Amino acid sequence: MASLKQTQELFMAYILSDKSTDNAQDDKCSAFTSLITAKSDEDGQTRLGIYASAYRLRLIETIETDHEMLGIYLGDELFDKMAQEYINAHPSSYRSLRHFCDALPPFLQDDAFFSQYPILSHIAAFERRLLNAFDAEEQSRASFSELEQLAPEHWPESRFRFHSSVQIFKCQSNAVESWQALKNQQTPPQPDYSIACAWLLWRGEERLTEFISLTEYQLVLLEGFLQGQSLAQQCELMLNYFDEEQAPTKVLQAIRAWFEMGIIRAIA
Amino acid sequence: MTETALTQDFLGFGLGLRTNHFDHVLNTRPDIDWFEVLSENYMVAGGKPRYYLESIAEQYPIVMHGVSMSIGSTDPLDMEYLTALKKLANDVQPKWISDHICWTSIHDVNSHDLLPLPYTEETINHVAERVRTVQDFLGRRILLENVSSYLSYKDSTMDEWTFLNAVAEQADCLVLLDINNIYVSARNHHFDPVTYLNKIEPKRVQQFHLAGHSDYGDYVIDTHDHDVPDSVWDLYGTALERFGAVSTMIERDGNIPEFSGLEQELNIARDIAIKTLPGLQTHLDGLNKNSNRNVFDGKS
Repeated sequence: MASLKQTQELFMAYILSDKSTDNAQDDKCSAFTSLITAKSDEDGQTRLGIYASAYRLRLIETIETDHEMLGIYLGDELFDKMAQEYINAHPSSYRSLRHFCDALPPFLQDDAFFSQYPILSHIAAFERRLLNAFDAEEQSRASFSELEQLAPEHWPESRFRFHSSVQIFKCQSNAVESWQALKNQQTPPQPDYSIACAWLLWRGEERLTEFISLTEYQLVLLEGFLQGQSLAQQCELMLNYFDEEQAPTKVLQAIRAWFEMGIIRAIA
Repeated sequence: MTETALTQDFLGFGLGLRTNHFDHVLNTRPDIDWFEVLSENYMVAGGKPRYYLESIAEQYPIVMHGVSMSIGSTDPLDMEYLTALKKLANDVQPKWISDHICWTSIHDVNSHDLLPLPYTEETINHVAERVRTVQDFLGRRILLENVSSYLSYKDSTMDEWTFLNAVAEQADCLVLLDINNIYVSARNHHFDPVTYLNKIEPKRVQQFHLAGHSDYGDYVIDTHDHDVPDSVWDLYGTALERFGAVSTMIERDGNIPEFSGLEQELNIARDIAIKTLPGLQTHLDGLNKNSNRNVFDGKS
């Protein structure tokens, strides 16, 4: 008689084995088959197969749902290759399928085959960011009038706290443009690895996930504020991009836009 | 746990709250007695899921249903999960919390499936001990639901219903009977589903699930993606005769229809219950949707 623990270990080993490639499958199958009631070998295989198939189908469905545009970009055959290999490499250790694909971007980046096409990892990483923005914690949002009400002498030392959904996505490809093309049911452009891109993602007050591209100075400005730099420090930083007259204006324009987008939750 | 009345009030007829019905429910406030939510879907910090849940919970009684407690696993209980579950319960104030009598993970690998347990004394003791720990931690009794299964173990020494009764009694927990799962397992393991119902201890049955399945002849797969078939409706009528008025819901997990389609199915459930249980109609007419309901057991 097998202990409960042994039974569960053998059952899980069977479920996890890749029936198409795992040479040890026969051993795993016979070890567990010996524990179950079946009219015949075929009957036992069928009963076990229901669980093994359900495991893979459920995970494939999760990848499809979380990475819909990546799936379209790959096409059925390559998507299936990616899904099967990712499932083999990353058995789910999460209680929620929401996180099952967290390791997909590094998997695509490191895998011998898929790493030939870096844009795949970039698209996957962008889709993870969208999901993170989707279910980040809800927080109140500050308005520009709160900044206006501050006494002028307090402005230089002002710092901003951002909404938890705010994320910056950077990549060295046109992954987001490709994602957008697929979303609009258009043919994506050829991969282009010549330009560094940066994007701001957030969830707006209407609970819609949004994103915009960032220019170099916008990226530097936003990253500085996210790191806790003050208004005065960021105005000074902008002198690397603009003259003394333009710099504070550009900073103020950006901040006003962020308030309107609802990504600032507090002035500190 | 104190030994007061075991089961809670009859909530009436509910539906599983699904993402694609969020706006409909919030905007039209349909005449549904209560909603069941999948706990894991709302164990996130915020965003749309939590917004809709909290808005809908202000208007309807809510019960929480989980799939990840893995109460039968030989891994240690996942206290991080239980902490998140308790926090969600504090936020949502559900009428009750349920999960499944099964295991889902071992050595921190999750099958994301409701895997069957061998029906032995060892398993009863193991599961009951863990249920007691969970109940102490949550500060309330939980409900355990029977799962559909496609295999049985040579080591099992008793029937599923004997096992379920024993765990519930030893752990002092409640039971959620999924009528469809009983039907599915009965077909797959060649037992009489009515016998199953007749052997279950009524005093601990607090909720029914109704659902559909995929019938492949030799095997029936619990897909929860079809309308409730006649075979399950028939079994539901039998369950009502044995257990009286039990809070009933339609559980649809895939191929989810328009909300009106689920309402129609729920009306069928209500009609069967009214025909089966004298006095239920009068009780339902008197239900005040915004107040706690009175107990109606349908057997008096």
